[in-house]
Amino acid sequence: MATPATSGLKYLSNALATAEQLSNSSSAIDGVSPDLEASIRFAGAQLTQTAGILLRLSQDIIAQAIVTFTRFWIGSEGGSLRIHSVKDVSAAALYMTAKLSFQPTSPRSVLNVYTFLLSKEASPLWFVNPNGSPDKPTPETYHLTEGGYQAQRQVLLRTESIILRTLGFNTHVALPHTIALTYLQTMGVSSSAVAKRVFEHLNSALLSPQLLYATHQPNALAVAAIYLSAREVGVKLVDSDWWEVFDVDREDLGFLVVGMGSMEGFARAEVEKWKGRGVPMTADELDGEMERRRMMQEGE
Amino acid sequence: MASKSRWATDDDPETEAILAQRKREKDEKRRAKAEKQRQLDEQQAQAQAQAQAQQQPDPDHPPKKRRRLSNDQDQEKEKPSQTPPATSKNNEPTILSFPTQEWGPCRNVANFERLNHIEEGSYGFVSRAKDITTGEIVALKKLKMDNSPDGFPVTGLREIQTLLEARHQNVVELREVVMGDKLDEVYLVMPFLEHDLKTLLDDMSEPFLPSEIKTILLQVLSGLDFLHDQWIMHRDLKTSNLLLNNRGEVKIADFGMARYYGDPPPKLTQLVVTLWYRSPELLLGAEKYGTEIDMWSIGCIFGELLTKEPLLQGKNEVDQVSKIFTLTGPPTPQTWPEFRSLPNAKSLRLPPTPSTASSTSSPPLLPRTKFPFLTNAGLHLLSSLLALNPTSRLSTKACLAHRYFREDPRPKPKEMFPTFPSKAGMEKRRRRETPEAPKRGQEAPKLDFASVFGGEQGEQGEQGAGFTLRLG
Repeated sequence: MATPATSGLKYLSNALATAEQLSNSSSAIDGVSPDLEASIRFAGAQLTQTAGILLRLSQDIIAQAIVTFTRFWIGSEGGSLRIHSVKDVSAAALYMTAKLSFQPTSPRSVLNVYTFLLSKEASPLWFVNPNGSPDKPTPETYHLTEGGYQAQRQVLLRTESIILRTLGFNTHVALPHTIALTYLQTMGVSSSAVAKRVFEHLNSALLSPQLLYATHQPNALAVAAIYLSAREVGVKLVDSDWWEVFDVDREDLGFLVVGMGSMEGFARAEVEKWKGRGVPMTADELDGEMERRRMMQEGE
Repeated sequence: MASKSRWATDDDPETEAILAQRKREKDEKRRAKAEKQRQLDEQQAQAQAQAQAQQQPDPDHPPKKRRRLSNDQDQEKEKPSQTPPATSKNNEPTILSFPTQEWGPCRNVANFERLNHIEEGSYGFVSRAKDITTGEIVALKKLKMDNSPDGFPVTGLREIQTLLEARHQNVVELREVVMGDKLDEVYLVMPFLEHDLKTLLDDMSEPFLPSEIKTILLQVLSGLDFLHDQWIMHRDLKTSNLLLNNRGEVKIADFGMARYYGDPPPKLTQLVVTLWYRSPELLLGAEKYGTEIDMWSIGCIFGELLTKEPLLQGKNEVDQVSKIFTLTGPPTPQTWPEFRSLPNAKSLRLPPTPSTASSTSSPPLLPRTKFPFLTNAGLHLLSSLLALNPTSRLSTKACLAHRYFREDPRPKPKEMFPTFPSKAGMEKRRRRETPEAPKRGQEAPKLDFASVFGGEQGEQGEQGAGFTLRLG
């Protein structure tokens, strides 16, 4: 029996990955190297974020979709990048999260947006279209044919069911954003610059290779973002171990602050690493990339 | 010696010595006793401090959020350390640990042995089954996957999402979701309860006793209170969705219509709640509604518990509205000012409002004759649940505090609740002609309520119940 205290907390907390799940992934078992997996997951999360913006979904829905997308790949019983294309899981996670929200969207809208974002000629995304998008891409380069739509829709709905099965139908995602605002008010921080920076850190952390949203509770993410933002903006917070009031210990705070602080460097390194090439967005493209790496190794 | 008594002067020194000796002994005894008591106190204090220290990491007791400031601690250290464990407790932070939740893939339905079929609800088939590993008897509900063009049915997703989050002793517990070999075979695993109230009422020769009605109603209300607190609307409360086990526990089930709501309320479908339990604002086409629709259903359930028969058995939406107004009287500008602006209210021609209408904000009492065995407090509760105006309907909190539950006869303790033979246990059930919950995706009907008050009944509105009803 859950006490009132813990049942109320459930609403503010998330299911977290176990140590066993973190030490093993289905993709790793299928031979995908950890750095390649991290690159693809990072690109997939960015794809989800961009698609959500084009679908005019609010950021809380997009953020929940990215967390669901991230959870899907974790653990030996999670999904494998060799079997499920990252673009399909991204689309299905976004479609399913929107369906449960106050802003549902149609399969056709989702697939139109993904066709555009995955077009090698028209896409504005650096990891799909490394040459950069033309000012006015020709509509033919991102047109979804009726036949293509029917086929894609089948894949979308099938992937949705696979995500649900893999996560045991646990679609609940609590977000740190509103918690962070409450904490800022509690501490009497009135600087909107800090609040803005907090949201920026929380949204970037969604893309973190350290899977911060799957390893830490929202209150800890909120506290770390506040700590980091206040330092960056130069706002002085209360002079004590205030994070303990919000149930975060020093060790977790330190880890999260380093993790969030390293996001910018990681993102830049990724862009540099994939310069002039696309990150594999499908299982087939991944097979090609793994083959290329194998050949390079043999050549050395 | 000034304190010497009269008689003592007569005594010889020997007696005096004995007396002094006795006094010394007494004093010594008292001192020993005081010493013993002090030692005992010390031991107790230590034990208490230890118990406190042990209790500290208990996740069920959230620690106080207020932290001591550093100079506070210094002051305490300067003081003689009479209670050392208490000070050391304040030195380390008390951090609340969150309930540990994990995720993992669904198990296969092959882990369960199907025993017998129970019922076909609007959103799935339910059967009794045995968990092969634990031997536990559970209810397995197969979700209907209507091959919709939108993929996994959103109703099923919401049912799972809300049930997983609503853990309360009066809400049926969703243990897990299991799947068959195909992706469209999804089953919800829930504890098996022997009865639903609908089947039970059908089979009973006499209605429940007043004390039993109170026990049932209190449990339903506390479950619903929890749901509303979690921003969940049930949207299909009816006696067949209330389960009862042989330990007198009632649980709210079937969350096929449930969903989260917000403040301000989002635009929602009006096609919710089974017709007989549907509130007037839904019938009249309100696009924004709130938890009040659940309270109306509670009122209908209350009435059904009292009389053993569903209270308002309309044949269709129009008939339902006329049945409601027959029971409660038609809405007046005083009792429900916003009623005229509802979409379907335009076609409704009301009889002339009786000028004697009271202008009090509380809804009028229902006719006494309909519920002859109900106390005044009970009638007041029922009337406030079946208030036409959603804003004057009672909330769950107000209901739970209502005097009806505190007057005699008191609610019967759950342990004393009678048991009944379980239909769901082995026998196949009769199908009853209850209307089904509305199907998703249907258009909300444009209703013509012109016939509700029998057209031109004109000026003879003074006698009788204020208006007459033409049926069919």
